[in-house]
Amino acid sequence: MRLAIVWIILRKELLEALRDRRTIFMMIGLPILLYPLLMIGMSRLQEGQEAAQTARASRVAVWGELPAELEARLVKPGKMELLRWAGAPRGIREGLEGKRYDAPPAPPFDYEADDKPPKPPKLPDADWARAAQQAVLNREADAVVVLWPRFEERMKSGGKAVASILYDSVRPESRKARDRVSDQLRIYRIDLQHERERQRGLPAGFVAGIEIQSNNVASEQRKSGMFVGMLLPYMLVLFSAMSGFYAAIDMTAGEKERGTMQTLLCAPVEALEIISGKFLAVWTIAMIATVVNLLSLAMTFTRLKLLPGMEVSVPLSSYLVAFLMLIPISLMVNAVFLAVGAFAKDFKDGQNFLTPILMSLLVPLMATMTPGIELNGYLAFVPVANIALMVKGLFLGEWAADMLFLVLLSSMCYASIALVFAAHVFERNSVLLGGKEALGSIFDFGRRPGSRPTPGMSLLVFAAALVLAFYGSLSLVRFGLPVMLAVTQYGLFLAPVLLVIYLKGYDFTDTLNLRGLSWRGVAGSVLIGVSAWTVVGGLLVRLLPPPESLQKAMERLLLLDEKPAPMWEMWLLVAITPALCEESLFRGLIMSGFRRLGKWPAILATGLLFGLAHASIYRLLPTLALGVMIGYAVWKTRSIVAGIICHALNNGLMGTLARSRDVIDQLGLSGQKYVPWAIIAGGAVVLAAGLWLLSLEREDQSPAAA
Amino acid sequence: MTPILQAEGLSRYFGAVHAAEDITITVQPGEVVGLLGPNGAGKTTILRMIAGILAPDTGRVLIDGIDMAAEPLAAKEKIGFHSGDTQLYQRLNAREALEYFGRLYGVEESQLQKRIDALIAQLEMESFAERPCGTLSSGQKQRANIARAFLHEPDLLILDEPTNALDVVSGQFIVEAIRREKADGRAVLFSTHIMGEAEYLCDRIALLHKGRLVDQGTLGDLLERSGCANLTDAFLKTIGVRRTGEAA
Repeated sequence: MRLAIVWIILRKELLEALRDRRTIFMMIGLPILLYPLLMIGMSRLQEGQEAAQTARASRVAVWGELPAELEARLVKPGKMELLRWAGAPRGIREGLEGKRYDAPPAPPFDYEADDKPPKPPKLPDADWARAAQQAVLNREADAVVVLWPRFEERMKSGGKAVASILYDSVRPESRKARDRVSDQLRIYRIDLQHERERQRGLPAGFVAGIEIQSNNVASEQRKSGMFVGMLLPYMLVLFSAMSGFYAAIDMTAGEKERGTMQTLLCAPVEALEIISGKFLAVWTIAMIATVVNLLSLAMTFTRLKLLPGMEVSVPLSSYLVAFLMLIPISLMVNAVFLAVGAFAKDFKDGQNFLTPILMSLLVPLMATMTPGIELNGYLAFVPVANIALMVKGLFLGEWAADMLFLVLLSSMCYASIALVFAAHVFERNSVLLGGKEALGSIFDFGRRPGSRPTPGMSLLVFAAALVLAFYGSLSLVRFGLPVMLAVTQYGLFLAPVLLVIYLKGYDFTDTLNLRGLSWRGVAGSVLIGVSAWTVVGGLLVRLLPPPESLQKAMERLLLLDEKPAPMWEMWLLVAITPALCEESLFRGLIMSGFRRLGKWPAILATGLLFGLAHASIYRLLPTLALGVMIGYAVWKTRSIVAGIICHALNNGLMGTLARSRDVIDQLGLSGQKYVPWAIIAGGAVVLAAGLWLLSLEREDQSPAAA
Repeated sequence: MTPILQAEGLSRYFGAVHAAEDITITVQPGEVVGLLGPNGAGKTTILRMIAGILAPDTGRVLIDGIDMAAEPLAAKEKIGFHSGDTQLYQRLNAREALEYFGRLYGVEESQLQKRIDALIAQLEMESFAERPCGTLSSGQKQRANIARAFLHEPDLLILDEPTNALDVVSGQFIVEAIRREKADGRAVLFSTHIMGEAEYLCDRIALLHKGRLVDQGTLGDLLERSGCANLTDAFLKTIGVRRTGEAA
């Protein structure tokens, strides 16, 4: 791929897109307008309504005998107009005056109720209730207060007076009337309790019994984060995707419709250069939109701080990390947009194809709106939902480095799959020209005997194997570690590798580096295998010490559960099995795909993927370093056996050490957090010797190695 | 002398439809070859296969001896392709579009502007070269597109119905441009269903019908073999169609 050509295509696509008013509006106009309109506008509206409600006097119908003191308390704040018997039918009024009605029984207290305070009971099936309902619904009053017969008499005699408030929860003025009446009645009740205690010489609090004080421990960031955490991921992901939406359709279906696609295809450019240029253009637009969205949001929240009761506290770092999180999601969504957009024959068709994809984002985004759903191991690998929940966590100020790493890793995996898919689609000219066999042709993975894996295939296999292994191991954990390890390694690492090699028609010997080893190769690999852990475990772990939970999990893995398994079982499952399966995947298929990039890019890229596959930020550096050393061994010897020896010895020695207290004591490792410097120094000498021996190996210069 | 184009046994199937079957065409440097056929004869499919836009199911294409399947980029650099139904980018002006394709074809930056200026003058595009392509008339768009195909001075021009949907004046303009390229020694393979164009421009003519090459040769060869007085009659006779009113 020629970067200069990608740059030419990218520049032209951006120039065209930036001359399109639709793209500019979605990228800049909408975010600038939306958040202020939505948040400040809504809060202003709410504020205005609140102010209007507060200023307006509530019109409250009072049915029944109204004691003078209660009347005085109700009208004292000056916000209530009492309408005696308003809307009361004659029969009800006579019944209440003639004391023929009894107060309805209090609803039973539900100790198990989820709602605290409990929901108000349903409207009683009685004539007075229906009459009051009519009075409220007919706007004769905002609320009706029914003071049941002998209200005053019961209060004075130490009994329980009953008042019912009937209101319409849908009408704000009715809710306000309910609040005002119930506030005054509550104050009246407390005063009455104090008066009764005083009159009877009872200690203060005798009647209340228990006073409950509850305090909100949520910080300002959590309170506001809760508010923005629900909305923000939704908006950011959607608007970031939508800004790429039109550009992606324009660059695929739009080009087809205008007949410019075949002009481009007959130019001396590779499909990968075209998709890369177009993809980078769409992605740039989406990222500009993301930045504008975040800026607009930040400025809106700053403005909200000026409004009473609407303070939103979000630190700058949260915006920055949210931006980081949106990169992989943007990569994934826009790659899918481009790939699917390529199937559309015109712009309208493109909209029809891509709108369902846009809509499908809403489902995982719902996770942020659903109470109780928090980011965990399972959700960290669910595309879109993982990012949305992570962004929510960021705004709540609750996030862990390891989880952030997992989310980024899984999202990059999905983005890689989407990108490889898009490149695969663009390689099929029949799709781009809109032939009848267009859709079918993408399922043709073209078995070409003797061909070699590509870097795209390496990425695709890595991403697919990682996602499979992640969910596979989670679902197999109940069967115990030995079963989980065996199935994951053979079924989800080795089997897909063999399947891909067969389906694509790659040469097994060449792809998997199935060759013998010279004595130098064997000796070098053994020396690396026995010494790598000292340097890797000793030095790199000091840079980013793993938390205790991870150390325990590693120990459990090496022991094959809580109790140590037999030594042979550990060597089989922890040393030999990963050595065979992971080496076939990484130093076999994946490194073969990267081989065309050159020696060190191939070794480093494979090592990086190997490190990432260990799915922990704390294990990244040590496993990456180990992966690079094994990659070097395999590259120099052109034999997977070198990798298997290094890997098996490294894992086996760690497992042996974990169950050999005597050896640990003799090495002076007991109770040590890190490997002592003396052992690191000794290990480094052995490691250097191993690498030196391998460096003496003559690199294969045949075309197959290029 | 190596032919500039050697297409051997090209076939392409779209499901049950045989769009092109066992097509073999050769074009020598400086030669103009016309592909003549009614709508649906497979002209566009054949030209797309030769231009490297569509992979053939069977057969191979050599451009100046370079295998299109093995070295597509090197082969495409030697081709200038233009189709009557292709457009240029709506929001770029004609000059920007030419700059874009010039860079993709690897024209040296120092030469690019000179070459564009020359083409603008040659194809009389001065009045609309700075206007967005989306605002140009059909004739203006075709001229800009022809300029795009000529820009990198390819050895072989592949033109798919270049005068399609153009008025007589614009069509004639394109025909003259092709003639000038021929005079400069460039090889041209073009498709048309306008017999006059073929008679006027072509050194050799290939007759296509239902995806098959039914005859090819110079105008004189075709007339002699068919025993007809003009190309239209020769073509109709070759594909087995009788003129209205002609006795069976």
